[in-house]
Amino acid sequence: MTHRALRAPTVAGTMPFLAILLAWWLLPRVVDYPAYMLPPIGDVAAFARDSILDGSLLKNVVASLARLAAGFAIGIALAVPLGLAIALNRHVADTFRPVLSFLQAIAGIAWVPLTIIWFGIGNGSVIFVIANTIFFASLYNTVTGVQSIPTSLYRAVRSHGGRGWALLTNLILPGALVQLLVGMRTSMAYGWRALVASEMIAGSNGLGFMTMEAVQWQRTDVIILGMIVIGLIWMVMDRTIFTAIERRTVGRWGLLQR
Amino acid sequence: MSRVIALPLALPAPRSSRRLARLLKGFAGVAILLLAWELSVPLVGLGPYFYPAPTHVATAFVDLMRKGILPVYFADSMLRYVAGLSIGAVLGVAGGVLIGLNRGAAMTLSPLLKFLFAIVEVAWIPIFVVWFGYGLKTIVLALVYVVFFPVLYNTLLGVRTAPQILVNALRSLGANRLQVLRYAILPAALPSIITGLRVGAGFAFRGLVFAEIIAAKTGIGYLIFEGTQTQQTARTIVGMIVMGLTWLAIDQLYLRPLERSTVQRWGMSVDAEQRR
Repeated sequence: MTHRALRAPTVAGTMPFLAILLAWWLLPRVVDYPAYMLPPIGDVAAFARDSILDGSLLKNVVASLARLAAGFAIGIALAVPLGLAIALNRHVADTFRPVLSFLQAIAGIAWVPLTIIWFGIGNGSVIFVIANTIFFASLYNTVTGVQSIPTSLYRAVRSHGGRGWALLTNLILPGALVQLLVGMRTSMAYGWRALVASEMIAGSNGLGFMTMEAVQWQRTDVIILGMIVIGLIWMVMDRTIFTAIERRTVGRWGLLQR
Repeated sequence: MSRVIALPLALPAPRSSRRLARLLKGFAGVAILLLAWELSVPLVGLGPYFYPAPTHVATAFVDLMRKGILPVYFADSMLRYVAGLSIGAVLGVAGGVLIGLNRGAAMTLSPLLKFLFAIVEVAWIPIFVVWFGYGLKTIVLALVYVVFFPVLYNTLLGVRTAPQILVNALRSLGANRLQVLRYAILPAALPSIITGLRVGAGFAFRGLVFAEIIAAKTGIGYLIFEGTQTQQTARTIVGMIVMGLTWLAIDQLYLRPLERSTVQRWGMSVDAEQRR
């Protein structure tokens, strides 16, 4: 969701895109440069059409998104229990905070060379890197989520006799969930970068792989199509998933601060 | 995009525990990790290429220092990072102010900027490699790109949401445009600019490592990559540790104080931003 101050009228907002397309179309007709540097707009369109028709583009997109989903699920599943332990127990928090802060600082792409040794090129490496990235973002969100539960709510649950398991399921988990969902946009922004980057180094298919592999053959039309698709997918995810989540959770639970 | 915020690095501090006890337990945590790592090596039993022990890593560190490789690589990485970060930040703030001062321009360009930001910087690296080859230019450009957009967008947001009442007050007192900018708009936009800078600095650091893996022959990212290529996995881990400590230092020594001195002073902490 764009901030209100920057919401564009639809027609005016398309003008810069049209201007770029026009410039791209005109450029080869005005300036002389090798075609591999910037392929004519028609080449990219033709490649887009071909790769959509033969299903190869869709296959790459699905492969990337499946890995993102797998890494996301693993990352969250590991982060939530540990996050709860840290948020609820001071000793656990004190002991593991420095180590985790350090590991968070190297989370993501720096693991790729090591994971290639451990898991080889392909799914294992890429999913490890995404899970690793999502894990640390979600860990932070879980801890913050629990800590931001107002004390009065604890008192309310306790005074009604809620303890232990009831306290966890009725108050702490929902409290952490809100922050997890709200923080998802940020964790996914890191996860998405990790996905594209690790596919470029350690992938055997997927959008990142498709884009990087084209460098060897100087297929700039493939590269540019890859970039456009990467941009579009992120925008669609942002518009549909995250905005919807925000509306449902933040809006509904009255956390919206405007 | 406005809500992609910087991941604060250290986990939030617990409210009441004594510092010394916390420090000791923190050391215990590090010791537990190192011990578990060292003890697990014979259990895994796959050799230092696959799973080096902490002692191997320490040896590799001493070796890299003695040969003078690590200091040179580190300096190269920092040079690229600082160059990319400062160029991107300056361009982002300048662009954000210029566009932001014109309401029509801000609204018209906003979708394009969002789309360009959505093409994450790592996706630009292949085409930069085709255009500029493997090397400094590609790396710095990728960093400039990744810093530019969050800074631009947040500057734009800050400028556009500067309280009109302050602008009007200054105008009615006879201030010219430059004075309005200097005394009303920029101070109002500053917290937002700093937020953008923090987001950019975080993405740029990971971008640096990635770009060095792909497109460099020196640097910490290259060390991490080359270590596994030459079967010196311990060197890879030295690189990862240096990278982690460097980022922690950047975050603690520069970004946090910067944020404290601006964002929090104006009563807008990142947490508040996140919960919006």
